[in-house]
Amino acid sequence: MNENLDPLRQVLRETRLDLLERENVVATGIGYKLRGGERTGALSIICSVVEKVPEARLTGRALIPRELTGIPTDVVETGVLRALQARTDRWRPAPGGVSIGHRDITAGTLGCLVKASEGTCILSNNHVLANSNAGVPGDAILQPGPYDGGSPATDTIAELLRFVPISFLAPEPPSGCAIGNGLAALANLAARAVGSRTRLRAVRIQAEENLVDAAIARPLREADLRPDILDIGVLSGVRQGELGLPIRKSGRTTGTTTGEIQQVDVTVDVDYGGGQTARFTDQLLAGAMSQGGDSGSAVVDAGTNLVGLLFAGSQTTTIINRIEHVFTALQVHL
Amino acid sequence: MVMPGDSGEEAGEPAGIGEIKARHEGHLLSMPGVVSVGIGAGPDGTPVIVVGLDGSRPETVPKIPGEIEGYRVRVEIIGRVKALPPGSRRNIKP
Repeated sequence: MNENLDPLRQVLRETRLDLLERENVVATGIGYKLRGGERTGALSIICSVVEKVPEARLTGRALIPRELTGIPTDVVETGVLRALQARTDRWRPAPGGVSIGHRDITAGTLGCLVKASEGTCILSNNHVLANSNAGVPGDAILQPGPYDGGSPATDTIAELLRFVPISFLAPEPPSGCAIGNGLAALANLAARAVGSRTRLRAVRIQAEENLVDAAIARPLREADLRPDILDIGVLSGVRQGELGLPIRKSGRTTGTTTGEIQQVDVTVDVDYGGGQTARFTDQLLAGAMSQGGDSGSAVVDAGTNLVGLLFAGSQTTTIINRIEHVFTALQVHL
Repeated sequence: MVMPGDSGEEAGEPAGIGEIKARHEGHLLSMPGVVSVGIGAGPDGTPVIVVGLDGSRPETVPKIPGEIEGYRVRVEIIGRVKALPPGSRRNIKP
């Protein structure tokens, strides 16, 4: 459309400050006047208001004139306008997909809400809500997480309720570790002496295998939580992850991303930093769809069925706990 | 290590690959640089055993068999797998 907007711009420039000072007006602009919800061909100066009120109830300046210097006006209801909130901001009530974390960690993602016998809880990773086994029940959970500015005094949204401990592989001794090798040699000597066929080696000692990196936290006030996940909505059920299943997640760092389950039945060694590694079995593997801070994201199918809990990844992969293992281990359900 | 109900449940996954993978993964994961062993799909959709490496690892690759008990083995460099810590780069293309 090549309509000349200059006369309208001129009038808007002269009147907009006056319009914005009026009760209820949150924005002014130029657009086609609507009549009965239909667009007319008439250009107008549009006032956006928080709430449209019948003319009869408006007095004095609250009533927008029908015309301004010969230009028609229109009034549309937009509600309160807010700057779009970032996932690293403080959210109350808080939906799934935003920053959260134990007071002593950096930040991860609030996965989704689950039901435990104690009531509605927040689901995320052990390494997000329980500081990789270091947390104790009752510890403060902050939204946003400490890395995103959350502070225990003002941003505590929940308390750690319980977590599934992660079993770490014994740290790899530095090469030439005299004590470790010496101990192994001694133990092996002893083993030989008693005729044992099992020999100790000064390498990683296999710990228990893990199925999940998961924890739940109990909100201080249930009203501080939203039942939906950002961009995804409210979960409707659970679904078993299988090869080729299209999936998506909503996370603190990379927002909503999509992928596909490329491998099932995955056994994987995951680096937790500080020389700690944990072996996980029966995991789902997808392509690159996450980065640091997305830990704890709920993974869903193309609809709203919960498939897994995201917890680890590399440059090319994302590793996901099966949701059925998460629910069994934590004794929770949707 | 036979896991009951581990195989034959997923569509297109013939009985056995889960058990066969489970039997061999301990050995595979003990090789330098091997970080994961899973079940994926080959180009024609048949299930394959996928071995993930943390880097190029020229000394390990020749030791990984091309086939285990009738199932093809694919080797992929996936990099080191980390529990995702925050504070790294933002914005990935969905």
